[in-house]
Amino acid sequence: MLLLSETGQFSTRYADDRRVFRLRQARLGIIALLAFSYLVVPLWASDYWLSAILIPFLVLSLAGLGLNLLTGYAGQLSLGTAAFMAVGAFAAYNFQLRVEGLPFLASFLLGGLVAAAAGVVFGLPSLRIKGFYLIVSTLAAQFLVEWALTKFGWFSNFNPSGVITAPPLSVLGVDLSSPAGRYLLTLAVVTVLFVVAVRIVRSDLGRNWMAVRDMDTAAAVIGIPVARTKLLAFAIGAFYCGVAGSLWAFAYLGTVEPHGFDLNRSFQVLFIVIIGGLGSILGNFLGAAFIVLLPLLMSNLGGSLLGGVIDPGDTENLQKILFGVLIILFLIREPEGLASLWRGLRARARVWPLRD
Amino acid sequence: MSAAAYPPAPVAAAPLLAVEGISLSFGGVKAVTDISFAVRSGEICSLIGPNGAGKSSLLNVINGVYRPQQGRVVYDGVASMRITPRRAARRGIARTFQNVALFKGMSVLDNVLAGRNLHVRAGWFRQVLGLRAARDEADGHRRKAEEILAFLHIQAYRDTPVGKLPYGLQKRVELARALAAEPRLLLLDEPMAGMNLEEKMDMSCFILDINRDFGTTVVLIEHDLGVVMDISDHVVVLDYGRKIADGAPAEVRDNPDVIAAYIGSAH
Ligand SMILES: Nc1ncnc2c1ncn2[C@@H]1O[C@H](COP(=O)(O)OP(=O)(O)OP(=O)(O)O)[C@@H](O)[C@H]1O
Ligand SMILES: [Mg+2]
Repeated sequence: MLLLSETGQFSTRYADDRRVFRLRQARLGIIALLAFSYLVVPLWASDYWLSAILIPFLVLSLAGLGLNLLTGYAGQLSLGTAAFMAVGAFAAYNFQLRVEGLPFLASFLLGGLVAAAAGVVFGLPSLRIKGFYLIVSTLAAQFLVEWALTKFGWFSNFNPSGVITAPPLSVLGVDLSSPAGRYLLTLAVVTVLFVVAVRIVRSDLGRNWMAVRDMDTAAAVIGIPVARTKLLAFAIGAFYCGVAGSLWAFAYLGTVEPHGFDLNRSFQVLFIVIIGGLGSILGNFLGAAFIVLLPLLMSNLGGSLLGGVIDPGDTENLQKILFGVLIILFLIREPEGLASLWRGLRARARVWPLRD
Repeated sequence: MSAAAYPPAPVAAAPLLAVEGISLSFGGVKAVTDISFAVRSGEICSLIGPNGAGKSSLLNVINGVYRPQQGRVVYDGVASMRITPRRAARRGIARTFQNVALFKGMSVLDNVLAGRNLHVRAGWFRQVLGLRAARDEADGHRRKAEEILAFLHIQAYRDTPVGKLPYGLQKRVELARALAAEPRLLLLDEPMAGMNLEEKMDMSCFILDINRDFGTTVVLIEHDLGVVMDISDHVVVLDYGRKIADGAPAEVRDNPDVIAAYIGSAH
């Protein structure tokens, strides 16, 4: 029995050919996965798993998606991811604070839009510079945003510590401040935004992004408005990061603070995108799972294996080294990321048990 | 490919493109010096000349990739001083490059669809929402792209990433992408370079078909003089950045300056 058999499944209209999940099996699979995540997980998973693993996993996937749209699809390198997350989080917080009765989802959306505006501003240098130089200019964004959020008390409502407690979440009067509630809210936002992203990269805009990424002179010659296309990538990528930032603060940490969005966070999201696969939507989930789960696995294993031999401070350093080595080894073997590993498996499953 | 079996596209008297007194230099290197010529609507015009004669540079001036120090380009009756590649594309000028300039990470179909971007009406937001009009429009572009793939016999490679195709097919995909824009003027920089005889025959037929079926005016750079003499209505010869001959293929072939330039060079 061929599990992924395509027999009898023809595309007879262009619209069929454009479907994201062209195979019936794939559609059933995704429905099962969604049902599992929405119905089974919130009932089954422990509070620890929900709040310490699944929520950050989802939020980091979303941030990875934002960076992937910008870098993997449009080819614009950026180390400003955490800056855009911070702008989103602080903007959402300030909208909550200053607009009476504004629903949470609306403030996340507004936070994303403010981040998008910041993305356009910090994306302006991309009209002139590329590659390494662009990294440096987005790095400037990273430092500038962190500095501004710490320096000007207005952003954190003049809270002396700069760390603000986020208000408890609720949507349409339903209290969502429990771990399961926060998980479901995050999952819902992430689901919607992933669907939108899939549609964007398959639209003409997505095609223009890839054209600009692969060869911007040729893109201009066939009439693609290169500057507009790049800035839209910054805007939309930063929007995604901004919403991810709001979720990070409101649904995960429960606090809003600039230092949660430092350069390390930008690098973390960059690793997610590289490990998951540049120019892949699914890769963001895979990369985020890798980044979130691997340290956990290592500390559990390390704790039981080396518990008595090495003191805890050293195991932590050892973990970081091991983590780095694993990433390097992985990228040498699979430079196109986990997503390409997945594509390979799927291609083999299509003809299994035959070999191609 | 006898002339009788292949009636050419009707050639109008008025020029679609006139290059007037163009000079272009890179620092001290004079790539093009004071060149003028006109291309009539509907004709196939070949630019020939030894390596480094300035042919590609001239093509780059015509669609605004390079800005000349002197002279102007008149296209469709409008003289533009500061033409940009995008503006040229919007006015109906499409081209291919000497070194294939495809979008390497994209499939053949996506490359061709990208070539249609100027015809896309629905904005990205409407496409994301999946509105009926946007979907119908996408079907239309897909149909057009499929027509072009069929025309150039590359339907079978529709979903192949272009980076994986052999060179000869990449050249064809690049032509397909240019055609997708439905251009009035097609600039082809050595579309047959590196091809064997058979592939050259195919490509020549495609160019003739494009010219005849769609009435597209073609400016072509080509080193193979046999092909040039066969398919051109008009030949312009450059040598060291200057124009040394301009006329019908037969006239140009017998021009002593041209013979001297070709014998005096590596060709
Ligand atoms: N971007 C550039 N920068 C500097 N010099 C250039 C540039 N482009 C072309 N040149 C120079 O201009 C002159 C003409 O080059 P061009 O590429 O137009 O010649 P060509 O006729 O297309 O030659 P070929 O048949 O080899 O393609 C050459 O001397 C070349 O070195
Ligand atoms: Mg050339």
